[in-house]
This record gives sequence, C-alpha cells and structure tokens, in this order.
Amino acid sequence: MTDRRRINPPPGGTHPPIFASTLSTPSALRPQRPTRTRQPSELRKIFLQTSLVPSASGSAYLELSPSSPPSAPPSSAAYNPSALKLTCTIHGPHPLPRSAPYTPHLHLSTTLKFAPFATRQRRGYIRDAAERDLAAHLETALRGVVIGERWPKSGVDVVVTVLEGEEDGWWGDDVGGGEGAGGGGKGIGGGWGLMSVLAGAITCASAAMADAGIDCVDLVAGGVAGVVVEAGRTTKGKGKSGEAGLGTVVLDPCPAEHEEVRAAAVVGYLAGRDEITELWVKGDVGADAEILIEKAVEAAVSSRTVLVEAVREAAQAKFIQPAENGAAVGSKKGAGSATADVVMSG
Amino acid sequence: MSHRRAKGIEYDDDEVADYSDEYAEDTQKQQGMYCSLRKLSPEDQVRMHEGKAQVKKALGSSYSVSDKEIEEALWHYYYDVSKSVSYLKNLRPPQQPKKPKQASRFDQAANSAASTQKRKPDATGTHFSFVSARDFFKDTPWLQLPDHRRGNITLEPVVPRLRLLGGSSKPSSKLAALAAARKKKEEEKRAAAMPAIDTSAQQQLPDRAISLLDRLGSRASGESNTEKNAHLSAPSGHVSEKFQPRSYPVRPRKEPSSSRPEEPKETATPAPEPTKLEPLPDIKAEPSTFARIMVGAHPSSHGIHNRSKEGSFFSIPYADDPEFTKRNPFTGPSPDDVVVNAQSKGVKSDKQKAKPKEAERITNGISHVDHGKSTLMGRLLYDLKVIDQRSLDKLRKEADAIGKSSFALAWVMDQTSEERSRGVTVDIATNSFETEKTRFTILDAPGHRDFIPNMIAGASQADFAILVVDAGTNSFESGLKGQTKEHALLVRSMGVQRLIVAVNKMDMVSWSEGRFQEISQQMSAFLTSAGFQPKNVTFVPCSGLTGGNVVNPPPEGTMLWYTGQTLVQELDASETTKRAIEQPLRLSIFDIFRGGVTNPLSVAGRIAAGSLQVGDQVLVMPSGEKATIKGIEIDNGAADWAVAGQMVTLHLTDIDPVHLRYGDVLCSPSNPIKNVKSFTAKILAFEHVLPMSVEVHQGRLNVAATVSRLVAVLDKSTGEVTKKKPRAVQPGAVARVVVELENAIPLEGRVILRAGGSTVAAGLIESSS
Repeated sequence: MTDRRRINPPPGGTHPPIFASTLSTPSALRPQRPTRTRQPSELRKIFLQTSLVPSASGSAYLELSPSSPPSAPPSSAAYNPSALKLTCTIHGPHPLPRSAPYTPHLHLSTTLKFAPFATRQRRGYIRDAAERDLAAHLETALRGVVIGERWPKSGVDVVVTVLEGEEDGWWGDDVGGGEGAGGGGKGIGGGWGLMSVLAGAITCASAAMADAGIDCVDLVAGGVAGVVVEAGRTTKGKGKSGEAGLGTVVLDPCPAEHEEVRAAAVVGYLAGRDEITELWVKGDVGADAEILIEKAVEAAVSSRTVLVEAVREAAQAKFIQPAENGAAVGSKKGAGSATADVVMSG
Repeated sequence: MSHRRAKGIEYDDDEVADYSDEYAEDTQKQQGMYCSLRKLSPEDQVRMHEGKAQVKKALGSSYSVSDKEIEEALWHYYYDVSKSVSYLKNLRPPQQPKKPKQASRFDQAANSAASTQKRKPDATGTHFSFVSARDFFKDTPWLQLPDHRRGNITLEPVVPRLRLLGGSSKPSSKLAALAAARKKKEEEKRAAAMPAIDTSAQQQLPDRAISLLDRLGSRASGESNTEKNAHLSAPSGHVSEKFQPRSYPVRPRKEPSSSRPEEPKETATPAPEPTKLEPLPDIKAEPSTFARIMVGAHPSSHGIHNRSKEGSFFSIPYADDPEFTKRNPFTGPSPDDVVVNAQSKGVKSDKQKAKPKEAERITNGISHVDHGKSTLMGRLLYDLKVIDQRSLDKLRKEADAIGKSSFALAWVMDQTSEERSRGVTVDIATNSFETEKTRFTILDAPGHRDFIPNMIAGASQADFAILVVDAGTNSFESGLKGQTKEHALLVRSMGVQRLIVAVNKMDMVSWSEGRFQEISQQMSAFLTSAGFQPKNVTFVPCSGLTGGNVVNPPPEGTMLWYTGQTLVQELDASETTKRAIEQPLRLSIFDIFRGGVTNPLSVAGRIAAGSLQVGDQVLVMPSGEKATIKGIEIDNGAADWAVAGQMVTLHLTDIDPVHLRYGDVLCSPSNPIKNVKSFTAKILAFEHVLPMSVEVHQGRLNVAATVSRLVAVLDKSTGEVTKKKPRAVQPGAVARVVVELENAIPLEGRVILRAGGSTVAAGLIESSS
C-alpha cells in the first residue's frame, strides 16, 4: 500500500539544479575553486550560543562561518561555500520508562540527523548509516564527561540536527569541473565532511549539556585536523612522504578547499583534565598518526575558548538578572568568578 | 480576505514607523542629548548647577574639562558628584603627572562602568548598521524589536570586560606589567618571524604544537578571564620567567615523541618558537544572518529570563506586543468555550421563553368503552379545524360503506384497520390542536379493558384528563361499574389531579338537566373517594356526535339550564401544571420510527423532566448506550430545543436501533436513571394485595414482578404505620410493599401494579436498588 496521504519526494533524493548556462568549461569553472586562505593552524571562526530552544532543558547552536567568502555572489544556491550549522537540544534527565531495565547510570541516547537540505546530496528522513555512526561517536565523546552515577534510572536525550553540513569536497569536482590532474576529478566522496560535523557536534553538545545543567567533569571540545595535499605541492608532498608525512597537516580542514584529504582525525578533548574521550582517525596517516592527533587536540583547545565563552555567557544570563545598562556593574565581578567556578568545578 | 490582508500590511507599516520613532528617541537620549537644558525641569537645572560647581571644585585646575562634559557626566550619573568626577578624571588624563588623590578601587570600578555605558550607544549603532538585513525584512515587524529583545548582544563579551573583572584599568602588579611587556615583545618577534614559518612548518610540527598549546592556554585564560589566570599562575612560581603559563597540564605523550632524533633539540630551544597569526581572538564569530534569526529572537540573557518566568513553554518573540495580543486568536474564549457558554446561556433563556408559552398541555381522554371518547376527540379536532371537511367527508363515506356512519368522527383518531373494523380504540392516538390561548396535545386512550396497559401508557403522559361518560341510561351505570371507575383511579394514581368529566351523548337524553345532575352527583361522590379534590373536577355536558357544547355552544334552546362553559373553554381555563425543567432529563420512549431516509431512527415521547437540544448526547436506559440527538421535531416542525412537558420526536444517531425499545428512558449521561431490580413502594391498593406475582407498569414499560414482602399498612392521611407485616392489604388501604422485578428496568416515580387483567394497586417508588 503506497502512502497517499503525503506528497513523497523522489526516493533517491534530489540535487539543487545546476543549469547548463552556468556551467562553462572545466577551465572556466576552475577559478571558482575555493582555496584555503587561513594559516594551517588557524581555525574557522565559530559562533556558539546556548539556550536556543526554550522547551528543551538545554540547547545550543553552533556555526562555522565559511572561511573564504566568495568574491562575487554565487550564481546559484548550489555554489554556496561549504559551512557548518548545527543545533543540539538536550531533553532530560527524565525517568526511564517502566519497561526499561534498571540502570545505575545516566542513560545517554544520542541522535544525529542531517536535515534533508543540509548537504548537496540530499538526505532522507530515515537516519542512514553515517548518521548513526556519528551519533555513536558523539555518545562516546559525551559519555566520558557526564557524571552518570548521579542519575540512576534516568535518561538524557541528545539530539543534534545538522542544518548545514560540511561537504565532502568541492562541488565542482562532482559536476566534472575539476581537472584530471592531482586528486581532482574523482568526484566527491570519502566522508571527510563528517569529521568536521562530528567535531562541531561534540562542542555544541557540550555547551548544551552545560546549559541543561547536567553534571560533567569538564567541557569537552571537539577538534579536527587533517593531512591535506595541496594542488601545487602534490608531487613534492609525495616525494617527501617517506620523511615527514604525506602532505600538510592543517587544523580544521574544509574538504572543499583542498585538492585531496589524505587523512583526518577528530578528538573530543577535555582540556582541564588533559583527557581524550573520543578519537576517530580516518585515512592514510602513515607513520605520523600522533602528529595528526596532536593537531586535532590543538584545534579542540582553540575551539574550547569559544565554548567556555558561550557557557559563561549562558551562566551569566541564567544566574544574574539581566542588568539594566550599567546598573549591575558591581555584581558582574562576582558573576565572573561564579561562572568560573561553574566551569572549573564541572 | 484580501481586504484583511491589505489592512494588515498597513498596520505593519504603522508599527515600523512607531518603532523607528522610538529608536530615534532612544538613541538621541543616549547620545547625550540631556544637554539642551531647555528640556530640564527647574529642579533638575538647580541640581545641575550645584553639581557642576562641586565637580569643578573636586577636579581642581589640573583637569581641563568643559562644562558640557561635566553636565553630561552629571546627567548620566543622576547628579552623583563622585561618580561624575571619577568618570571625568578618567576621561582626560591629568595635565600634571601628580594627581591630587589616588582614585579608589571603587571609583575605578565606577569608571569602567562609565566606559561601558559610554559604549552603549555604539552598540545600538552597530545594531542599526545592519541595514541590509533590515531592508530585507522590512515588512516583518518581528525584526523591529525593541532594543532589549534583540539577540545580538554578542558585542558585550567582545569589549574588554577584563577591566570589569579585574576592577582596575591599569596593570595591578609589577608581575602583570612584566607579562604585558613580554607579550608585546613577543608579538613583534612573531611578526618578524612570520615568513619563515611556512617553509619550516613540516619539520617543526611537534614543537609548534607545544608552543601553540601553551599560547592557547595563555590566551584562553589570560584574555578572557584574568581571575582564572591569576589563580592558575599563582602556584607556578616563576611567572616572570615563562609567562606563557600552561593553562592545562603538559601532555605526557610529548615524551615518547621526543625520542626522535631531531625533536629533543627543537623542544630544548629555550624560548618557544614564535608562531604565526593569532587565531584565538578571532575565533569567536559574529552570528551570520541565519544565526541571528535563529537565536536573535532569543538573546541568551533575556531568553533565559523569560523561560524561567514562563515555565518551559515556547514564547513567541512578539507575543508581548499589545498589537499582537489584540490580534491573537487565543486571547478570547475558544470556539468550544463560545459554544459551551451559549449552551449554558441558551438553556436558561429557553426556559424563560418557555414559561410564558408553557401553555402546552396534554389531555387524556378516558372512559369506559363505547362512551364516545374517540368521537368527542374527533369532534374537537374537526371543530377546531385541525382536520378539514374534505377528509371528514372521506371518513364518513368509508364509515357508511361498512354501516357505521356514526363512527366517522371516531376514525379521525382510530386509524388502524383493526380499530376501525372493531370500532374500539386499541392503541393510543395523539393529535394536537390549538386554541387562542393554549396548545393542546390530546391522547385518545383505549377504553376497553383488554387495552388497559395502553391506557396507562397514555395516562402517564397526561397533564389532565377528560373523563368521558355516557349520559345514556344503562350506559353510565355499566361504565361506572366497568372501566370508568378503574380509569379514574388509574389517572389519579398516575398523578393526574385535574379532571374534566365530559357528560357525553347529551343529545341522546335530549339535554336533560336531571340526567346531568344525577350523573354529576354520582361521579363526584366516587371521584372524591378516589382522591380527586372537588375543585379540580368539572362537569361539562356535551355531545360529541353533534358537536353541542364541545367547541361551539349547544344548539339554541336545548340547554337553557346550563350556564357553564363549553368543553374547550373549560380546557383553556384549566391551570397549567409545573414542569420539572430544572431536573435532569427524563424521556420515556413512547414510539420508535425506523427506516426514514433522512432520519433513519427517531423516537417519540414526552419529556418528563429536564430539557434537551440538538447535539446533546443522551443515555438510553436500560441498555446504557449513548446516542446523539440529530434533530428535534415538535408538532411536525423542527425545533432546536425542547423542555419538560413537550411531546417531541427525536432523531437519533450514533446508536444501534436494537438498543431502543418502547418504554426505554432517555436520560442525561451526567445524571442517569438507575436500572432497578427491586423497589419499595407506597401503594394504594384497589384490590386485595398479597405476596403475589404482578405486572409493573410505568408508561410504556411493563415487566413481570412479584410482590415479595408487605412491609406495613399505613394511615391514609398521615402516612404513619398502623400495622406491621400484614398478611394482606385490603382494597383502598395504603401500604408499603417490596417488589422484585424480573428484569432490571429504569423506574422512577409512579407505577401501576396489575394482576390478572385488573389493576391491583398504584404506587409511588420510595427507594430502589
């Protein structure tokens, strides 16, 4: 029996249209390829704010701004530079249903879902394997920070919705705009974008956890680093591969900006305790896996500054009456220390 | 629709204008436009002058501050001189290096407050600089929110809150000064070393990791939280030596990696290699347009505040706008509430309306068989033009055909072929007519003893009865021995108090006064003994067949002795009885019609108590099923409501017809009638009552039962117990008995007990179970 009540989309998903008029030759398309203008150790800017969803016990919104805004406005929505926008909502802690078996710890259930429009390749409404995988990774990252013993027989639902996901590569490669040389022309794939999504999800979920007031040992920040091969340096990099690695190690790689991503690592890092709760390395790292992980930790430490700032803002807003102009200047000092306490004691 | 929308747009435009006016005003004020002293009240002017003098005195000559600045400061601090002084001092560095007085920490705090305050207009300015977004959403009023509801307060953390937290605007210790100097130096160095980095990047990776980590730590703690910085760096002792304090412990993993040949050397370099651009201060991004919309309606400070205030409900950003509440469809009562209110009001008004019009009465014609009830009823209807001449002629013709021409009028009421061929009424027939004052429904009850149950059904619905007696010799006497007596007793025990005795067939006795008086005396003697009050009994001589003294006065010269009223006038004069409108609904089903096209299931009956209206849900007892009233018909006309006392036809839905039987009771689901299995009743015995099997009648209901116990014999007038546990109850005595029913049926009020074809007793249920 077919579902006649809803207007169902085509089963395979759809692409935003790319019209032939806008598609010139590959050579004409090529200048549009974004390049990394950041330093290798420079992260994209992060916007993070909590208390987005009033009905949830905790929520946060995280956004990575595109590193290289296009010089000219894109001719189609399909050409938008890759960026990351995601929300995390936390419901609970709530009592587990009667049917659930007894658990002495907080039962953490994580859900990560890409919005259908999040990436160029549209996603279905059912969670696919990649999304379930990311959710499992996220759960691992959070499980290490939550003090679960304080909530026996209760559960927390962490729901991450990816509104705009990192692409796995430059869209031009997908439509044949890339060149045959180097790593181009392969088409998009490899799931490199998922790494950035996971890192963002970890950071965002951590902020939402703090917003929900769930006891944690520390704030966990996500960081990602990757080994990339730049177009110009391809041969050189390969030549050097025996010595120092296969390519350049960059923090926060944006797959669309690189010709090829060889490997990437995501960590969930507790800076306060120098612990890693989640580690995911993918690709051909060679012998230098440790370097890559170090870099990912570096990225996590950087993103932590934003996380701390967001949590402090949230705490200030929560525990201090919103100050009228400068009236509460005196109390702000106290607030600062109180917030620091909140963050540090965790 | 389009009209409304156009209106809405206009309205929004107004709103925009309003808001921008407000803004303009606000910014103007904030940008220091106190200073047109024209606006100040005289009091304020005085205070301003005094304050100015004090401030000038406090500042002394070393500060060159204009009057305008002083006024501005005073205005902002509400004439607080000390605050203004500290603000102004901070505003201008003293011309002489030596200050007259060291500013206290408090002053400095106030000072920083002043600087924040001064920055405020800037913040609003930034606000307004989002012109593109504003233009883009020009017609959407929710972007034109007042300042305090805006989301982009992210500016606030960006401003150096260091000073607020530290409490002092200058380096508080030599240590800190040293650190600052060192940092500056390092930055210069870094700028110089920048180009070299890229080439050496790969070799220096681990090293860079360390240094960056350190630097990140210092930035994180140093920049954003001085207190934490102080806290962390205090134990580490030689802060001056290595002021990039690790905010986080060194990672042990460093050590194994240092086993590589080159790296020990690199890590050993005393000063961490200066690295390139600082990513950290910039890593916090401004929200994008999208983010602004996502979180903008919910700035963290006010959003959380609101949430705690309103619970966990989702608050719409513009819900506080009075214009919105004005348009908010949820401010008023919901459609359901409107209906419920109208219903509760409607019932009341219905009753009020019903009262003056409550002229509706139900009349029951009763008598011994062949005394002429049906004919009299037919005469009434004919003379009151309820049936026309043409149909009466038709009936006459039909009656002539079978040789019963005198039955023509009776056939108006007796419509079934069985009734017509036998010449007796079998089932109750109803019809209605109207006089000038009143609307009547007449029930023609059968007189034959075989059909007493039907007569009970009719009598139970009547407000008052017309007892028809035959004036003819022998007929009256036989009637008095027969059903006339029983009927009179029955209607009395059914609760009918008012009785009109129509002495019929007066034309047969040539309108003789003697005969009329004789009958009157005999009847009134009997009726008084039966419990009727003499004032409630009226005697009217009439002739159903000829129509004399029914509607029209008797023929000229025939009944000069009679000064009373005609039958109809007498009916009109009868008092209305009280209706139990306020009681819960009770309607005994009198008839069931099935198979209509528009109304597949209809029931008819008289509402004994309560009221009902279209759309009501009713409970059918004893089955306990619920039905919904789809329509109400009163006298073949649709009605929206009906109240107690009216004969109605209800069109029901949502119920299976098998649950409906004659005699079932419709009641309100909130106040259902009970199904009774046994009851105690106070009975008036007509014959000997022993513990025996009887039939219990109430309206259309009848069920087999046994009188299981005789509890006591009571005094007729006082109701006191005269004899307990009697063996039998004598005719005419009042007793309390217990009756067990075979089936549970809904019973309330008055019942009739019959046995062996005669009425044994009439009773009033006292308690039931």
